[in-house]
Amino acid sequence: MMSLPEGPNESKLQQISRIRIDDSSRVPVSLWFASSVFWLLMGSVAALISSVKMHNPDFLGNIEWLTFGRIRPVHLDIVFFGWSSMAAVGCLLWLQARLCHVRLPWPLLLSGLAMVWNVGVCVGVMAVLAGHGSSIEYLEFPAYCAPFFAIPALGVLAANVKMYVTKESQHTYVSQWYLLAATVWLPILYVTAMGCTYFGLVQGVSQAITNWWFGHNALGLWVTPIAVATAYYLIPKVTGKPVHSYHLSLLGFWSLAIFYNWAGTHHLTGGPLPAWTITVGVVGSMMMFIPVITVAINHHMTMRGVFHMLKTSPTLRFTVFGSVMYTVASFQGSLEALRSHQEITHFTQYTIGHAHLGLYGFFSMIMFGAMYYIFPRITNNEWSSARLIKVHFWGSSIGVLAYGIGLCWAGWWQGVMMNDPAIPFLDTVAYIRPYLIMRSVSGTGMTIAHIAFAISVWRILSRHHFVMSGPTLFTTTRPAWREFVNEQEKREQAELEAQS
Amino acid sequence: MFLISMLIWATALLGAVMTVWALAWAVQRGEFRNLRQGAASIFDAGEPIGQQTDFFPGAKR
Repeated sequence: MMSLPEGPNESKLQQISRIRIDDSSRVPVSLWFASSVFWLLMGSVAALISSVKMHNPDFLGNIEWLTFGRIRPVHLDIVFFGWSSMAAVGCLLWLQARLCHVRLPWPLLLSGLAMVWNVGVCVGVMAVLAGHGSSIEYLEFPAYCAPFFAIPALGVLAANVKMYVTKESQHTYVSQWYLLAATVWLPILYVTAMGCTYFGLVQGVSQAITNWWFGHNALGLWVTPIAVATAYYLIPKVTGKPVHSYHLSLLGFWSLAIFYNWAGTHHLTGGPLPAWTITVGVVGSMMMFIPVITVAINHHMTMRGVFHMLKTSPTLRFTVFGSVMYTVASFQGSLEALRSHQEITHFTQYTIGHAHLGLYGFFSMIMFGAMYYIFPRITNNEWSSARLIKVHFWGSSIGVLAYGIGLCWAGWWQGVMMNDPAIPFLDTVAYIRPYLIMRSVSGTGMTIAHIAFAISVWRILSRHHFVMSGPTLFTTTRPAWREFVNEQEKREQAELEAQS
Repeated sequence: MFLISMLIWATALLGAVMTVWALAWAVQRGEFRNLRQGAASIFDAGEPIGQQTDFFPGAKR
């Protein structure tokens, strides 16, 4: 008879339950995550080509399918559909299973849906490169790609709801609200926007409204809630400190759920829309200060007194960086919605800087942190190299800060110059060129970081460096526990067979 | 065209109404009672409050 590691009985049962939940999500979550890392690399290549073309327009200029009008949307779509959404789904599935205290349902189906999603991204990218893109931002993939995303999104929604209705935990933790809402919002947003756009229901101004209602909400109601939910779980979990104010965390979720939906039209300030339509977007953006401030207070105050842990935990390092950037990018985004602000920043590099502070500095950094936490637990393997993790962290954090701050600074002055009729347009182009070169340099830094991360992921998945116990896996997956879990599973299987 | 553009706003309004309904449902279910315990619900005897759960590989705990 195998003996358990020492400790109280309650603790043993909880450890076993945790291991079994992690085991159940191993294949699907690894697949969603590994695919996302592949697309992260592809997205980085497309980003670098687009970036170099901004300061050297002749670069690869004689290759039709690599012209700026194709490779830039390919970068955007790979990053949104390939990297961000696939990382978000992997994170969502694991986190919801953990928080509901249930095993991940339908692992084969969810793995199949990951493959369907991958096919969708492949087909969409090839279509855009071939010149069949729609030129509607975030909806460039042709209509025939829609089922490749809509069906998996519905499948993920079904799995998420199944976990929630069969949950064994008493309480609905704040992260679960965000996760449930995100999976409900995505299919509504995507199907409505694709339907209206591709079946000719909306054209002209209405199409622009549809475009930015989807584009802004896809970020704010799909990927943002999942990243915020992840931070709400990982920061307390890694530090061993409950959330600073649980009341505020709930206020933050419900205010985001009510207000975010209205903010998208601020992208069209100055456009030929009815003024009230823009005003709705501006007011929605201002109201976003409420959820952002609550999240900021909570994440930063939870860290008070435990900042030293940033030295020892890779997960915390990435997640806290992402949380700080959430505050920065969200404050910036709300202010950016104001008409007076847009008079200067619209049609400048400022917007590009802001977008990267948000989707990379905030969202991607939290997803990196989550993967550093989740991969060892679902693969029962330790990360192979602390040095690779540090290269990843410093490359991506310095890269995105240089990128975001540089482009926001340059974009602001670009806007001021463009508003001055005495300054020729070409002077603004000459002014911004050094900053565009700096963008390519910082993008190269981020790409190096992604390569380091991809090597780490490849090693942990391929068991190149197989260590079943170590600093991260100190209790939950050490060999004694694993053997006991296997024993118990065999026993349950035998009981099931005897009953049948 | 006016009706079509209203469709987007109607969808947005539907989202807001669904959110308010979900909030009412959560209140009725008692999800907002005993919030102090809720904050601690991610900890258990195996991974208790006060225990750090993530480290760099090769680091000493």
